[in-house]
Amino acid sequence: MQSGGDFVDLLRQSGYRFPGEQLGDVKAERDLPFEPTDATTILAFQYADGVLVAGDRRATAGNMVLYDRADKVIDLDAFSVMAISGSPSIAFEIARILEHAFQYYRRRLLQEMSLQAKLRRLSLLIKDNLPMAMQGIGAVIPIFATYDRVDARGKIYFYDALGAQFESADFTTTGSGSPAIRGAMYYLNRWGGQQFVDMDRDAAIGHALQLLDTASEYDSATGRYERSADIFPSVKTITASGLAEIETEALRELYVQYVDGEEAGRA
Amino acid sequence: MMLSDEPYRWAEAVANRRDYIEDQIRQGSPVVGVGYEGGVLLLTLSQSQQKVFEVYDRILLAGIGHSTDIENLRQAAIDMAHSIGFNYSEDDVTLRQIVYFGLGPAIKAGFDEVVRSPFLARVLLAELDGQEGAQVFYSVDYDGAFHRHERCAAVGGVVEADVMMVRELSGLDAEALSLSDAAGAALRAWAIGRWIGKMDEVPTDADALDQVAGEVDVVDVLEMALKDLAVEAVVLERSQLGKNKYRNVEAEEIAPALAQFKAD
Repeated sequence: MQSGGDFVDLLRQSGYRFPGEQLGDVKAERDLPFEPTDATTILAFQYADGVLVAGDRRATAGNMVLYDRADKVIDLDAFSVMAISGSPSIAFEIARILEHAFQYYRRRLLQEMSLQAKLRRLSLLIKDNLPMAMQGIGAVIPIFATYDRVDARGKIYFYDALGAQFESADFTTTGSGSPAIRGAMYYLNRWGGQQFVDMDRDAAIGHALQLLDTASEYDSATGRYERSADIFPSVKTITASGLAEIETEALRELYVQYVDGEEAGRA
Repeated sequence: MMLSDEPYRWAEAVANRRDYIEDQIRQGSPVVGVGYEGGVLLLTLSQSQQKVFEVYDRILLAGIGHSTDIENLRQAAIDMAHSIGFNYSEDDVTLRQIVYFGLGPAIKAGFDEVVRSPFLARVLLAELDGQEGAQVFYSVDYDGAFHRHERCAAVGGVVEADVMMVRELSGLDAEALSLSDAAGAALRAWAIGRWIGKMDEVPTDADALDQVAGEVDVVDVLEMALKDLAVEAVVLERSQLGKNKYRNVEAEEIAPALAQFKAD
């Protein structure tokens, strides 16, 4: 007997095929080495109230800047986000499937999908996407962040391109800009005077802005605060009261304080 | 010989079917829908078993009748809504589609197949701020016939109960009502619907029906009912953050409305 809470099954019944499944004979012109494209910087860490996830907003193709308003931190439900690096097309598709899958499961089976099941669903979609990843055109390497109401704490998971999932104890970062700040994050967390997990909301956002600015200094595929268009990175927090997107005005204030101004020399 | 070969036997079979279904449903607990200042409310009384369900971000479903039949209809509605929502967009999921192209035809097909068990259910659906209006309801009868209502609607054990419950609610200003007042009005309507559904002979004459509805001792009916049933109230509320507007109403929110019907 089928319980029928699987949204992907429902889609398949109506003929839907996930991009990776229908790739079949489509081949890149020459055999590309397996190098996931991941031109972006995403970071996430635990802070005092829960989890913070931030990402720059630049979308690139090779050395071209395509778009400076891409939102790479995607809401999945009231307590979880998926931050994406990699192929935006597949990543948005995965996010859309998951968003519907979580809701569908809850409505259909009259219970919330467990955190472990949510992680598993994401992992399966990344696995389904393997053919695209192997072609070098569609790898997706997300960070999944959530507030676990059972354990009453924020949780951060990162994935590899094959769908293996790992929980990060304190912080993580992915994307092309991540090598530029991974060491900085470790340094900050260990010797910066205050660990991420002890930071209040403002300090956490301020440091996230500093780190993204650092990444953009060394990685051309990572955007920084766009003065001409007044576009800030996307920063979201997830706490016991749910998901919150930090508004532009709040980001502006903290940007002045932490990146441009009085706090900029510290840390 | 096929039933359909003989018009008389066909008509008789359908009439028998109606009697059978109505007999199964009429004792059930009605479902009442009322618009209020914050959105729409669906209210019923049940034995601690969920009767009001979320279908999509702005759509609710509740039913009276056989729980497994309601369950099948609920699942069909959810499947349809999520397929449309994913393949098109959230805004393309409308209650009208679900009723016109989903539930209506499905229930009608079940009713027409005389050799199979029909859906023993009448359902009420609510939609908040859709393309058709701010507070829209559809009722779908056990034979697949559906009706659209604005501001308020109700589904009871018999059609006469629906009519009298809606009449009880129709004077309300659904855009200005507080949640507690809406719940109070819904409870009053529920009591009338319950009373009529439980009558041995429901008057078919409009005047007689009016009189019966007017004479229902609402407080008494609710007092009796609340001894072994509990109020289930669910809203679609505009102020809910995010796309999903579904919320269970907490007991204390409707406590003032309930207090007037409770035995000391």
